[in-house]
Amino acid sequence: MLILAWRSVRQRPGQFTATLLAAWLGAVIIMLFNSLHDTAASAGVDAASAESLHLTGGVVGGYGTLLVFLAIASTLTVTVRQRGEELSLLRHIGATPGQIRTMVIGEASLIGLAGTLLAVWPAILGGRLLLDRFQETGQVADGVDHTFGPIVAGAGSAVMLLACTGAAAVAVRRAGRAPGRRPRQRGRLAAGALSLAAGIAGVGATFGMQATDSALMAAPAYGSILLAAGLAVFSPYLLRALLRPMGPVLIRVFGGGGHLAVLNTRERAAELSAVLMPLVLFTGLATATLYLQAVESDAIRAAGIRRSVEDTNLETLNFTVVGIIAGFACLMLINSLYSATTYRRREFGQQRLAGATPAQVLSMVGCETVLVTVTGVVFGTLAGAAGVVAFAAVRTDDPDPGQGPWIWLGVVALCTAATATTTLVTARRVSGVPAVHAVAAA
Amino acid sequence: MFGRRRVGEAVLSAEALRLVEVRKTYGTAGNVVTALDGVSLSLATGSFTAVMGPSGSGKSTLLQCAAGLEPLDSGTVVVDGQPLVGRGEAQLTRFRRERIGFVFQQYNLLPTLTVLENVVLPLKLAGRRVDTERAGRILAQMGLADRLRHRPDELSGGQRQRVAIARALLVEPRVVFADEPTGALDSRTAREILALVREVVQVHGRTVVMVTHDPVAAAAADTVLFLADGRLAGHLARPTPEAVAERLTHLGNAARDDVTLEV
Repeated sequence: MLILAWRSVRQRPGQFTATLLAAWLGAVIIMLFNSLHDTAASAGVDAASAESLHLTGGVVGGYGTLLVFLAIASTLTVTVRQRGEELSLLRHIGATPGQIRTMVIGEASLIGLAGTLLAVWPAILGGRLLLDRFQETGQVADGVDHTFGPIVAGAGSAVMLLACTGAAAVAVRRAGRAPGRRPRQRGRLAAGALSLAAGIAGVGATFGMQATDSALMAAPAYGSILLAAGLAVFSPYLLRALLRPMGPVLIRVFGGGGHLAVLNTRERAAELSAVLMPLVLFTGLATATLYLQAVESDAIRAAGIRRSVEDTNLETLNFTVVGIIAGFACLMLINSLYSATTYRRREFGQQRLAGATPAQVLSMVGCETVLVTVTGVVFGTLAGAAGVVAFAAVRTDDPDPGQGPWIWLGVVALCTAATATTTLVTARRVSGVPAVHAVAAA
Repeated sequence: MFGRRRVGEAVLSAEALRLVEVRKTYGTAGNVVTALDGVSLSLATGSFTAVMGPSGSGKSTLLQCAAGLEPLDSGTVVVDGQPLVGRGEAQLTRFRRERIGFVFQQYNLLPTLTVLENVVLPLKLAGRRVDTERAGRILAQMGLADRLRHRPDELSGGQRQRVAIARALLVEPRVVFADEPTGALDSRTAREILALVREVVQVHGRTVVMVTHDPVAAAAADTVLFLADGRLAGHLARPTPEAVAERLTHLGNAARDDVTLEV
C-alpha cells in the first residue's frame, strides 16, 4: 500500500496541490517561529535578546502551531472525502480498511515531508527578515545572527509529521467506512465539545494570570482558536435552525438557485462544517490577535511611558507578527474553499442536467456563500471577542477593550472578499465544462 | 393559417425530432476521432426509437448532440419544430427544460434531495408552478408512493431509475432521451423499467429515443436504428431481440472488414 501511496502522489501531483500548499504554508509558519528559539539558544546571545525571541517563538509560535494543525486537518478532511470513489474502488478490489488507512496516511506523510523540505528556504528568509525587525526595534542586540538549528529541524518536522498523519488518520476513518451508511456525527460532535471546553478553559486561564505576565496574551489567543474550532463544528446545525425563517426570503431573492442552496444547506452539514472551519478560524483568530495587540499597545501607552519612535516601531513589529499568522489563516481559507468548490463539479453537472442554467448554479453558490459567510463571521467574532474581553479585563481591569470597530470591519471585509471571490470564480470555472462531461466518472 | 399562436396553447409538431447532416469530432488535430459522420434522421411524435451499435459507434454522442448537451461541429437539430443551434449554455438549458427529458444510466439524481424534491426540481428551476399532487401521482404510478421522503441512496437501482423517469415525465417534454437506462440494472428490474418506458410512449404520448447496447432492451422499441462508425447503418421495424442481435453481429463484421480494408 505504501507503493500505491508513492505512485498516486507521483503520478497525480495535481490532486495533492491543496494539501501540499497547506503543508508548505504550515511548515513555513512553524519553522519561522521555531527558528527564533534556535537563534536565542545560539552562543553569545544576551539574556534580554534571548527572552524577546523565546517569548515571540513561544507565544505566537505556540498558537500558530495549533492553527497549522487545525488548518491541515480541515484541508485533509476535504481532500480525502473527494477521493471517496477511488477509495471505494480500492475496497471493491480487495483492499482492507487497514490498507486504505496505510495508503492515505502514507500519502499524507509524503506530502508533509515535501512541504517541510520546500518550506526550509522561505522559513530561513522569513526568519532573517523578522530578526531584522527585532533588531531595528531594539528588542534584540545587533550582533545576533539568525540560526536555523536543531529546534527547527526537530520541532518543525515532528509537528508537521504529526499534523499530517494525525489529520489523515482522522479523515480516512470517516472516508474508509462502507458506503450507504450515514456517517456518524458523534465523534465529530465530541471533538467539537472538547474543543469548546478547552477554549473556555483557555479564556478562563487568562483570569488566573497577572496583568504584567509577558505571556498573558497566549491564554486568550489559544482560547479563541479552540473556541472557533469548536463553534465551527456546531455552526452548521445552528445555520440549519436559522434556515427555517430565512429560507423563503432567500428563495425569493435568489430564485431557483436559492431553492437549491436552501436544500443543500439543510442536508450538507458535514461538508459545510469543513468550509466553515477555516472561515470561523480566520475571523476568530484575526479578530482576537489584532484586538489583543491593540489593547496591549493602548495599555503600554496608558502606563505613562513616553511614546517614542521605538514604541511605534514595537507596535509595528507586534502587528507584523500577528499579521503573519492572520495572513496564513486567510490563505488557508482560500485554499480550502477552492478545493471544496472544485469537488462539486459533478454536483453542478447534475443540477445542470436537471435544468439549472449556469447562472442558476452561480446564484446557488452565491446564496450559499452569503449563508456561510454570515455564519462564519458571527461565530468567529464570538470566539475572538471572548478572548479579547478576557484579556482586556485582566490587562486593563476593564472588560471593554476600548477599540473601535475598524479592525473588525477590516477582518470581515477581507473574509467576505476572499470567500466570495474564491467560491464564485472557482464555481464558474468548474461549471464551464459541458454538463455530461462533468457528471461522467473522472 | 395566419392565426396568432396564443400563449399556453401547445402546438404539437408531427415531427418530434429531426437531425440533418449532424457531424461531431473529438480530439485535437492529428488525432481526430469522428464520432458522428453526417447523420440525418426524423422521428415522429409519439414514436419509441432505440439506437444501437457497437461500442464507439457514436450512439451516446448522437443522443447528447440531439439533446443539446454537446455542441455540434456542423448540421442541424430540430426539436418539436424548433432548431437547436448556436445558442449560449443558458439559452440551451432553457430550451432543454421546456422540451426535453432525460433518463441516464447513472440516474443523476441529486443525493442531497428527497425523491419528491428531485422530481419537482426541474419545474422549480424553470420557475414553473409545482403541482406536488401530480408529482405524487406520477411517483405512485411508478410504485414509489411510500418513498417520497426517501433519499436516492436509500433506494435500489430500479427505484432510482423510476424516480428519474418520473422526473423526466413531470416537465411534459416533447422528447425523452434515455441513455442506457437499463445498463446498471439486473434483467428483471430492466424489464420493469422498459415496461415503464413503453408507458411513457403509450400512456403519456411522449416521444422516446433510447440508446442501448442490449438487444432485449432495443426490442422494446417500435423501431431500432443501427449506427456504425458514426453513420446510420440501417433500421429495423417491430424488432425482436433475435433479429436485433443478428443485425448487430453483421454490423460488427462490417466494422471489422472496414478495419482490414484500411490496413
